Amino acid sequence: MGTTKKISLSEEELVSKLKSRDTIAVQALYDMYSGALLGVISRIILQTEVAEDLLQETFIKIWNSADSYDSSKGRLFTWMMNIARNLAIDKLRSKDFKNSGKNQDIENNVDFIDAQKEVTFNADILGIKDMVTALKPEFNDVLNMVYFKGYTHVETAEELNLPLGTVKTRIRMAIMELRKHFN
Amino acid sequence: MEEVKAYIESGILELYVLGQLNAQEQKEVEAMASKYPEVKQEIEAIEIAMEQYALENAISPSIDLESKILEKIGVTKSPEKTESLPEPVKVVEPIKEAVIVPLNTAPYESKIKSLRIALVACIALLAVSIVALYSAHNQLGDAKDQIAALNLNNEKFTSTVNFMKQSNADLQKIIDMNNDPDWKTVKLAGTVMDPKAKMTVYWHAKGKHVMVDNSKMDLPANDQQHQYQLWAIVNGKPVDLGVFDVKADSTHILVAMKEIGSAAAFAVTLEKKGGSVSPTMNQMIVIGNVSI
Repeated sequence: MGTTKKISLSEEELVSKLKSRDTIAVQALYDMYSGALLGVISRIILQTEVAEDLLQETFIKIWNSADSYDSSKGRLFTWMMNIARNLAIDKLRSKDFKNSGKNQDIENNVDFIDAQKEVTFNADILGIKDMVTALKPEFNDVLNMVYFKGYTHVETAEELNLPLGTVKTRIRMAIMELRKHFN
Repeated sequence: MEEVKAYIESGILELYVLGQLNAQEQKEVEAMASKYPEVKQEIEAIEIAMEQYALENAISPSIDLESKILEKIGVTKSPEKTESLPEPVKVVEPIKEAVIVPLNTAPYESKIKSLRIALVACIALLAVSIVALYSAHNQLGDAKDQIAALNLNNEKFTSTVNFMKQSNADLQKIIDMNNDPDWKTVKLAGTVMDPKAKMTVYWHAKGKHVMVDNSKMDLPANDQQHQYQLWAIVNGKPVDLGVFDVKADSTHILVAMKEIGSAAAFAVTLEKKGGSVSPTMNQMIVIGNVSI
């Protein structure tokens, strides 16, 4: 794809074109964010094929619910990322996915131990895992669970046997670390 | 400001960006963000960090995924992009059935819109109806006026026809009377009171009929207080035969008077309205003898 001409628009242009149902917005969004969104989905759903199906669903949902995006409440990417994450988490928790996944033989929730021991992994995302692993382990654990595995912060507190306040603080510290890293 | 700082440090903004809050908590954060610019800035900084994090850790999708997605959304890629793409690998997997997603995500809005259109249509219809009703009302008024005018004309014609029928009948009767020897024509001539006055009386002695001929009457018109009275002279005594008026627009040519079987002469006097028991002799205007 190196020679492909990418479409790139400013956030305002993207939003206005998306809301006016100009399909150029979808092409631009795809060029700008498909990789990032697939990265998010792939952390939750390890099978590439399923992850790509979810990416497709994500774009269709972005297109169909463009009206519900409110730019005063946050950035466009945050909105899209949450659509992608929610679709991936719904898939992860769906019955047919659990039954089909050879590595997901758990009844009710994603096995935290699995994630920790990296029983299953996707070669494409090894790099990311490394990056997050570079965070302090206690930060890594909470971010891993809420961001990668679709746990709520309440569930994370229960799973890690930590007070809710501590989980919140650790999520904040983990993101502070990331902010430092990207600045 | 301490309060804002503590709020930022509570970690709730991170949970907000990660989509970890329920609807009410989200609203609280949004309210804080609109109130305090620091909160808004912090949220944006977190968002940008997560965005960059995601961008740095992007995974390129399969080369044919974009066209699949665009196809589902209903876009064909711009030609220049298609040209620059490497020859796509022919995918033999069957095209998945398109997911049917309603385009209209706000059914209420469309409902309200259609209700508005209906309301406007009703108002327009009402306006048109009022105009139509008003014009129909006006036309009805005109029609009523015309009917009244026609009725008036009709009455005029009817009265004219009646008048003409009556006149015709009377004229016919006069002709018959002239041809009938039983009818006597008595010409009354003016007296000293008015020498120019004259009139004609028809008398049928057997049938006792007496008629006054208005067409052959030449008496001055009487006023409201007086009427002419016809007398028959029988054996030298005047006998009352009734009163009559002399008007310019008299409807009948023949006027029937009281009956009398025998008479030597007829005379007319001008009496007070309604007539007198005996004639006022100095008011006698015409008199004529019955010819034998």
